[in-house]
This record gives sequence, C-alpha cells and structure tokens, in this order.
Amino acid sequence: MRRPGHWSWVAAGWLLPAGAAQAHLVSSGLGPFYDGALHLLLSPGALLGLLALALLAGLRGPRAGRLAVIALPTAWLLGGLVGLGLAPVPDLTWLGVAAFLVLGLLLAADAKLPPIAIAALACAYGGLHGLLDGMALTAIGAGTSPLLGIVLAVLVIALLGAAAVVPLRVLWARIAVRVAGSWVAAVGLLMLGWLARGTG
Amino acid sequence: MSFSQSFRPRHRISAPILTIALWPLAAWAHVSAGEAGGLLSGLSHPVSGLDHVVAMIAVGLWGAQLGMPALWILPVAFPMMMAFGGLLGLLGTPLPGVEVGIAASAVVLGALVLGRVRLPLAAAVALVGVFAVFHGHAHGTELQAGQNAILYSLGFVIATGLLHGVGIAVGLIQRWSLGRQALRGAGALVMAAGVYFLWGAVA
Amino acid sequence: MTLAVRRLAALLLLLAGLWSGPGVAHESQPGLLEVRQLTTERWEIAWRAPIYYGQPHPARLALPPDWQPLGEPRVRRLASAELYRQILRVPPGSVDGSVIGFPGLEQTITDVFVRLHRLDGSEMSQVVRPTEPQVVLRGERPWTVSAREYLALGFHHILLGIDHLLFVLGLLVIVRGPRMLIETITAFTLAHSLTLGLATLGHASLPAPPLNAAIALSILFLGPEMVRVWRGETSFTIRHPWVVAFCFGLLHGFGFASGLSTVAMPRAEIPLALAMFNVGVELGQLAFVALILLAHRALRTLEFRWPRCAELGPAYAVGTLGAYWTLQRTAMLF
Repeated sequence: MRRPGHWSWVAAGWLLPAGAAQAHLVSSGLGPFYDGALHLLLSPGALLGLLALALLAGLRGPRAGRLAVIALPTAWLLGGLVGLGLAPVPDLTWLGVAAFLVLGLLLAADAKLPPIAIAALACAYGGLHGLLDGMALTAIGAGTSPLLGIVLAVLVIALLGAAAVVPLRVLWARIAVRVAGSWVAAVGLLMLGWLARGTG
Repeated sequence: MSFSQSFRPRHRISAPILTIALWPLAAWAHVSAGEAGGLLSGLSHPVSGLDHVVAMIAVGLWGAQLGMPALWILPVAFPMMMAFGGLLGLLGTPLPGVEVGIAASAVVLGALVLGRVRLPLAAAVALVGVFAVFHGHAHGTELQAGQNAILYSLGFVIATGLLHGVGIAVGLIQRWSLGRQALRGAGALVMAAGVYFLWGAVA
Repeated sequence: MTLAVRRLAALLLLLAGLWSGPGVAHESQPGLLEVRQLTTERWEIAWRAPIYYGQPHPARLALPPDWQPLGEPRVRRLASAELYRQILRVPPGSVDGSVIGFPGLEQTITDVFVRLHRLDGSEMSQVVRPTEPQVVLRGERPWTVSAREYLALGFHHILLGIDHLLFVLGLLVIVRGPRMLIETITAFTLAHSLTLGLATLGHASLPAPPLNAAIALSILFLGPEMVRVWRGETSFTIRHPWVVAFCFGLLHGFGFASGLSTVAMPRAEIPLALAMFNVGVELGQLAFVALILLAHRALRTLEFRWPRCAELGPAYAVGTLGAYWTLQRTAMLF
C-alpha cells in the first residue's frame, strides 16, 4: 500500500491490522452499522475466503451449509468482541492471505470434508477475521456498531452463498464453483508474492 | 398455494450467486475510481497482450477437444499454476526463456488443437501447467504504483479464466463435423500466431 | 407457511434492536444551506443545522477564506434545528467554483441541501452527503447529476428508516403467495407515493410528532396480526393485507417527505427531485424485499429447523418495538 488516504484502509482489505494512518472507516453516510457492512463488502481479502468457505460448505450439502452459516457470524462476532479489547498486533496480513489460499485450494479440490470439519474451518476463519476486525476497530476508535454491521453482512453472504450451491446437481455448475475456488487460491498465491515483495 | 412453496429453490445457478458476485464489484467501482483501477488494470492486462490471449483461448479449445474430465480439470488447475508462476516471479526466482516459453506455448497448443492430439490426462495437465507457470511469471507481476495488489490479482485471474471460458465455448462447435474442421483451423491459426511470437522472442 | 421468513425476521429484529440506539426511532432531518445574493457584493447565508440526537449538530460550516463576514451572525435555536444567518462580502465573480465545506458532517448520517440564488434569478440546488462533505458552487449542472443525487437520497432515506422497513417486514410475514405479495407491496408503494407527492408539493402536511406516533402505531398494529398468522387464525388484515398496506402507506408517505426538503428549491427542479427521490425510496424498498425473499429461500434450501415457539419471536419483536415507539413518540407529543 503506497498511497495514504481513506481508501488505503480498504486497500489492504480486511487483513490490515490497524496502522497509524487509518483514521476511520469508509463512510457509507448511513451511520456506523452500514459503515461496517460496507466495509466488509469493500474488503476483498475477507470476502474471498468468506465466499470460498460458503461455497465449500454448500458443496457438502445442507447440514454443512447450516453449520457454516451459524458458525461463521458467531465466531466473527465473538472474535470481534475479544479483539475490541486487545491492542493491535503487528502485521498479520499474511495470515489472512494464507487463510483464503487454503480455503480456495479446498474448494478447488472439492475436498470431501465432514460437516463438522467445515464448522471448525468456519470457526477458525470467522474468529481470525473477527479478532482482526475488532482490533482494527478499536485502533480507529470505532465501537461495536460497525462490528454488528460486519457480522450481519457475513451472515447474509454466507447464507446466500451456501444456499446457492446446495441445490446444484448439474456437473458443470458444480465445476464452475470449483473454478471459483481455484481463482481464490490463485489470488492467494499471487498475494503471497506481493507480500514477500512488500507491496501487499 | 403458500408463499414458501411458490419460492421453492430451483436446481440451477440462482440469483444469489449473481447478487453476491456483482455486489462487491459494484461497490468497489463505486467507492473509489482510483483503486478500482487495480481491478480494471488486472482485468485488462491479460487481454492486452495477444500472445497471452491466444494461448489462454487455445487452452480452452484443447480442453473442449479432450472432453471430460480434462475439460474441467484444466480450467481448475490453470489459474493456480499460473499464480504459482506469478509467485515465483514476485519472489524474484529467475525463469530462463520466459518470452520463448510463452511463444512456444502458443505453437505447441496450436499444434495440439490442429492435430486433435489426445494426451493422457496427467501429461496434458502437466504440459498446460508448465505453460501456465511461464504466463504467470511474465504477466502476473505488473502492478502500477498505487494500485491495489489484491484487486489487481483478482482482475488478472478473472480475465484469464474468462479467456478459457471463451475457448471452451468456441470449442463446443466440435459437436458438428464442420465445427471440428473449423476448430482444427483455429488451432492452425494459433500455431501460426505462435510462430510469429516465437520469431519476435528469439530474434 | 412463512416460517422461514419469521425466523429470519427474528434474527433481523434482534440485530435491529442491538443496532438501533435511542435515536433510530427519530427520522434524521436533513440540513439546509441557503446562499442568497443581496447586492453585487453582499451575500447572505442561512445555515439550518438540525438537532442531531438531542445535541447541536457536529458539522460546521467552512466558508471560502475570501468571504468576509459583515457584522455578527444571528443565531436562533428552534426545537428541531439551529439557524445561523450571516451577511458576507464576497469579491465579485468569485462565487463560481467556490468550495463550501462541512467539516464534521462525515461522522453523521445527515444530508444537506444547498441552494444558491443570484440576483439575476439563476438558481442552483445540490445535495451534500456525508461521504463527500463539501459543495462546489456552480451555475448550471446537467439534470442527470441532480437526478442521481435525489435517487441516492431516496435510497439512503429508506435504508435508514428502520420503522418503514419493519412495517414492510411485518407485511412480508403476513402475505401468502406471490400474488398477494405483489398486491400488497404495490398498494403500499402507491399509497406512500401519493402522500409523499402531496406533501412535497405542499398540498398536504402533517406535523411530525403525531405523524411519527401514528407510524409507530402502524407497526404495533401488525404484531397481533402476525400472531394470528402463527395460530392459523384469520382476520380482515390477513385476508386483505393490501388494504392495510394502502391505508398505513398513506401515513408512511408523509414520513418519507421529511427526507426531501423543498425549501428554497428552484421551482423547476421540484418535480424531478420528487420523482427521483420516490424512485430511490422504491428501489431501496425493493432491495430490502428481495434480500428478505432471497434469505428466506436460502434458509429453506439449507433446511434450517427451529422450535415452533421460536416463530413467534418476530411477532412479539414487531409488536414490542411498535409499542415502545408508540409510547415514546406519544409521550413526546406532550
């Protein structure tokens, strides 16, 4: 990230631990709740893994989908509440990238994980991003309202994403979902490269 | 008839997927033209170099000729192999003869399409994977200052995937015998273009 | 029936309850800045800063440095706003391209209408949003720019109107079948468009405090009807929800009108502003309905199961919030 300014907050995606330059969330003009929801939508780093996880859960059927839809926002919220009370830690961007890289690979491979494993992944991913979000929100002096906006957006995306995949039976449609996973993994690989270069 | 019954899910790609896919894209475009530039330049980069375009489409054409399961394994494997090449490039790992490799990929893929060559699946994936690494190494790393790396990467990957899609869609004409011949003709064109690029790369 | 909608509604209401501070029950009033030319060099600005959650509004006015104040500003505090008036000397020809900023606006949800009147009769009207809290004064703007502004204004207004959305949610729980859904939403749309238009054009008006209480009452009204649906009973509302949607829609339209101030708006611009604002409101409402329907379908696809009594949650939540707002807003009348 080379350019300061309000977009830089978004630029690093949700992965960004609060640097000193980030003074506020991108304003939706609609108050902190919508600011939070908008923030998630503007954070490709968080969205890619979220989407990969939702689609992966959907491929594994309704039960896995249900568990993911429950676990993701819950873990995100709990992680966020914990994170709100913590001091920001140094750069964890690579951890977020590694997370969505792994999820993308699992989706591309159509990994036959049991629902409980999906739930565990959802808890880990949601908890990780919740923590990062909470710490970032504290660092910019925002309260819990944006966190609630984020969590509701996570819930909606996970719900719609998983439910869109569950009914897919046709081979090509399921393959399209796996291709999406390979795209996510590819972005993850490239991002690791950018991070190694110090550009991420 | 109850409300819920009337909204029973259908077994097809449904609106939510589209909603989810388009929503953030629209939001990114909306909020900042500057950084959305990362996405746009990522999207436009793969289609700006003819050598890249030709090879990507050829992968799709060949996949269509090979049929299942190569038809889907290639598009799933290719982006990751290409990103791996990009990763090598970003890490500064030298890859000798990148330009030659890219031009050669068009020649080889064109020849495979022209000859309707059927390789064993593992060999086909390995071959395409090697080319993918070359393409990624050369093209995945050109980010302008100030642009967002993740959006650029996303745009790059999406555009490449769509080029495969074009190849596969065009490849569907092989259902008809005339189409099969046309497809081989397309392979010849790709090969000719590859020879031209190779000439440029070597000379 | 609409179990999933009700479950979803429960969840949304829970979140809505968490998210709504005490202030959400009030409409957020827009601000207004009038810039009026008195003589060649003398201009008057009138800045109406709405009371923001019981406090003076955090946004300030940042005028161009070469505008010299003449005398002290006059300040008047009203129940709903603070009014500042100030005469200024402005170098001739320097108005075009001048930038007026609103520092502090970016932390709020307040939109500001800016109106510029010149001696030659030319007028300018613009909407300033918290996302970009400044205005560049210009003579003419293409009508498409204004149209987009008013569209966004309407869209944002409905997104912030949690009481309107709650009413729509209640209707969604009650209706059965797509036909009834379309009838009901259309009736609501027609009714509130009608009164929004009448109020904006100045043909009818309702004072805000009793109006808000009545809107709260319309939400309270839906709570018991939702319980009847749960019990499998029927009623006039459940058989003909469009009638209720139409009648209460008339009230909600007056509520929407509070988001569109036409004070000092150039006359020629009022129809455009009204139409686009209305379209924005409808788009926001349709987006909300679409989101609920999608989420409802998704819950069914994923085969969520809940205890039967949990389905009553939304009815109680709608009823409780409606009752709370009704009491609160009625108390504010006295």
